[in-house]
Amino acid sequence: MMQHILTFIIFIPLFTAIVLGIMRASTKSLKIGAMFSSVITLFLVAVVAYNFNPDIGMQFTKNLPWIQNAGISYIIGVDYLSLVILLLIGLLMPPLYIYMYHEERKGYWYNMMLLQTGVTGAVLSLDLVLFYLFWETMLLPIFVMIGKYGNGMHQYNSMKILLMTILGSMSMLFSILYIGYIYFETTGMWSFALSDLAIIAFEPKTSIWLAAGFLLAFAIKIPLVGFHTWMAPAYGSAPTPAVVILSAIMAKLGIYGIWRFGYGLFESTLSYYAPTIIVLALIGLIYYAIRAITENNLRKMFAYSSGSHLSLIALGLFLTNIYAWSGSLYFIATHALASAGMFLMIGLTYKRFNTVHISDLGGIASKAPIFTFFFAFFALSIAGLPGTGGFVAELLIIIGAFKADFWIGVLTATTMLSAMMYIFWMLQRTLFGAANKECQYSDLTLREITILLPLVVLLLVTGIVPSLFIPLFEPQLTTTLQDVLFVIGGLK
Amino acid sequence: MIEQLILALPMAIVVIGAFVLMLLSKSTRFNLDKLNLLAVLFLAIAFIMQYFTLGNHTIAFLFPDVFGESFILDDFSTIFDMMFTGGAILTLLVNNDYIKSRQYYSTEYFTLILFSVFGMIMLSHAHELVTAFIALEIASLSIYALAGYHKNNKVSSEAMMKYMVLGSMSSAFFMLGTALIYGVVGSTSLTEIALYTSSHTIDEMTLLIVGASFIMVTIMFKIGAVPFHSWVVDVYHGAPYPVTMFMASTFKIAIFAIALRLYLVNFAPINSFWTEMLQVITILTLLGGSWLAISQKLVKRMLAGSSIVHSGYLLIALSSIGLGSELAAPAIMFYLLAYFLSAVGSFGILSFISVHSKKQMSYEDFKGFAERRPYMALMMSIFMFSLAGFPSTIGFLGKFYIFSAAIESGQILLAGLGIMTAFISVYYYFKLIAMMYFYPSQTPQKKLTINVSTVLIAVMALLVIWGGIGTSLIPFIPGADGFIDIAKQAMSSLK
Repeated sequence: MMQHILTFIIFIPLFTAIVLGIMRASTKSLKIGAMFSSVITLFLVAVVAYNFNPDIGMQFTKNLPWIQNAGISYIIGVDYLSLVILLLIGLLMPPLYIYMYHEERKGYWYNMMLLQTGVTGAVLSLDLVLFYLFWETMLLPIFVMIGKYGNGMHQYNSMKILLMTILGSMSMLFSILYIGYIYFETTGMWSFALSDLAIIAFEPKTSIWLAAGFLLAFAIKIPLVGFHTWMAPAYGSAPTPAVVILSAIMAKLGIYGIWRFGYGLFESTLSYYAPTIIVLALIGLIYYAIRAITENNLRKMFAYSSGSHLSLIALGLFLTNIYAWSGSLYFIATHALASAGMFLMIGLTYKRFNTVHISDLGGIASKAPIFTFFFAFFALSIAGLPGTGGFVAELLIIIGAFKADFWIGVLTATTMLSAMMYIFWMLQRTLFGAANKECQYSDLTLREITILLPLVVLLLVTGIVPSLFIPLFEPQLTTTLQDVLFVIGGLK
Repeated sequence: MIEQLILALPMAIVVIGAFVLMLLSKSTRFNLDKLNLLAVLFLAIAFIMQYFTLGNHTIAFLFPDVFGESFILDDFSTIFDMMFTGGAILTLLVNNDYIKSRQYYSTEYFTLILFSVFGMIMLSHAHELVTAFIALEIASLSIYALAGYHKNNKVSSEAMMKYMVLGSMSSAFFMLGTALIYGVVGSTSLTEIALYTSSHTIDEMTLLIVGASFIMVTIMFKIGAVPFHSWVVDVYHGAPYPVTMFMASTFKIAIFAIALRLYLVNFAPINSFWTEMLQVITILTLLGGSWLAISQKLVKRMLAGSSIVHSGYLLIALSSIGLGSELAAPAIMFYLLAYFLSAVGSFGILSFISVHSKKQMSYEDFKGFAERRPYMALMMSIFMFSLAGFPSTIGFLGKFYIFSAAIESGQILLAGLGIMTAFISVYYYFKLIAMMYFYPSQTPQKKLTINVSTVLIAVMALLVIWGGIGTSLIPFIPGADGFIDIAKQAMSSLK
């Protein structure tokens, strides 16, 4: 059981979806099935986390031959990095299903289950082709959900996100194939296993464009500034559950990809790209924040806010020091929680007011205090309110930035300031003042509070006692960082 | 003698079947249904016999005392035969309803299909250039007639004229090439040609190279490579759905059977001469095909344009062979198999839809298709994924092998271009998926009819998925590995 546990975590949602699909299940049994699968997965994730040993690297690994002629194997495993995202996926799915409780369209549920398999698989796979498979698979449900259930110019926007993301993945595929070929040339065998490929020493020139293939895919997914044109339209059009997954999980997978495959395969080459990406991330940090200030659509505003914070995470990653790295990893988790909460709140806002435009909202605080509390809490935790996890993470990254360079530090620190700016202004216009449109609405129901409360608790716990979580990933994070620094240092 | 007869039986059954059907076609006792069944029966027997001759690992000539070395029998040809007969069986079964729904189908249709299958089988066995030419013409003439089957339809007649005139002219090149080669070698037997090419240097073989290049022109024409592509879209559009399906999936494979045999064995020593030419043609084919496919409004024409792109991928592998890639030859086989499955499936669905409507099936007509026919839409999506090379389908593995082979042979830019066109293809394939799923339907959901066509299409869809993710861990069922093993087996029997 224990050695197959990750396989179960990946495939239980897909399996449930297939079984329900073949049975032509009614919407009700579909809801129960989806819920059930997400709870079981959460339980299994909890088992993995409980048995996780922070002092060793890859654990729960499973290595099976898959397509032997091409050297593709089914290799999965979990380490500190994937555990964080795995926990997030496990934790977010049940609340999302509760949120979707009244959703009667069947396709929605099937897509969510397929999506869970896709993102989980991408996080856990350690074979490049397997990773590519899941990386593409997770795009499909998003494509369908935006295109079919979205709003606005959803058909156009879904095609846009599909094409831009696939452009990235195609370039990644090219690099993957070439790396496989280099391995074949040196050893006489085909293999795409990360552990096999990590030992190859690439020629500097080759490795620069190989890394570019990967970085393009990840930069589009994050998205770094310049690769971001899909972001605001897609976030604006996507239905709430899809947006939550997009910002909380899939954007993080871009960071994860750089962390796992970028630093796993070409440490030294990434230091060649580091200045470029740091500059892009700094520009993104500020540019997205400005866009967020001026944005009137709440979904798009938080899309830009999410872009800004992901640029911060990417920045932390490329600064390669222990503060920035711990901060980045911590921010992956806390930002996912906060943005999931925020986008859920925006979804609830839409349910009540039928709009997500700030100019149409206002005066909520006097009528719906509980709603106001949750809305403000998530918004502020995105801004990095002290006492929430985001604050700890941002602080760590900023410290790391100052350690790297004074001016980078200064620019990084502006993120807190600008976030406060757009968040407070937005809160003032949406929650307080007079209502811009009169309509009848109720405060949060008990079901809605149950969705949001776990997120609030987690954000507070991560903010107040970070020492609970840091030991989970610190030992291995330090080792990995030292390895990376050793390789980079060895070059200089 | 008896042994020889047994070996020749699969081919003989098809041609006997063709004659039997021709004789029965005027009988009033046999309607389309019965004749269809009979045709399938003949093909099925041939298919089963081919299956049992597979894996003998012997290379034999058929009736050497009569035909000399004209017909060869090896695993390579047998596997191709199985694809032809399989393709014909699928074409006949999937389109059964379509044929009955159109007035213009008469009983000769089956005869023509069987004759063209016979031509293709002969082509894959041909070990002599004149035989190959005759086989090619048998197959082509039947297809010309089939393409113009809807006599009263202008588009169909235009397709036939276009195809026949241009096709005959390209066949003339084949003949001219054969004559030139005969002038140099003194024989048209492939054995003699192989002996000659391996014992002379390139400088001594100018005339032979010219002749072989003429043969290549015919092959390029038949697979629709740019700049010999001008007929493809119009002919695929004009021909009735069953015929388009048959042309796109089966006939195209037949051309590769002879191309591979010539290119891998007989012209192997002079391959390098064509490399640059092939590369240029490949680039043109990939880009031109993509351009054609993007700019279409009818799904059928889009599939026709994209079939040019698929020829382009195959050409990448063909030029990789010339540069000494080990992977390339099995990659072509595998890709043909992958394309065969996906093309049969997607054209099958198109013809399934047009049973009940006389529309031209533009992208717009697919709006709301997923609501009307959810299962068909799902299967169509699977075929589109496979054609686009989306992972977890057999089409992805096909592209995976082709691009690996291209990288292995050092054609990195060509592999890059291939991946780029694969990216472009995502647009026109996913546009169809978007049309099917993202728009509401005007008419209510239709009940799923379970008949031969739908079951076969479902089986194709499952095969497409299984060929992409199938693991070989389950005993007795070949997974994705099994397909490439078959391809490798076929290639190893060539040398």
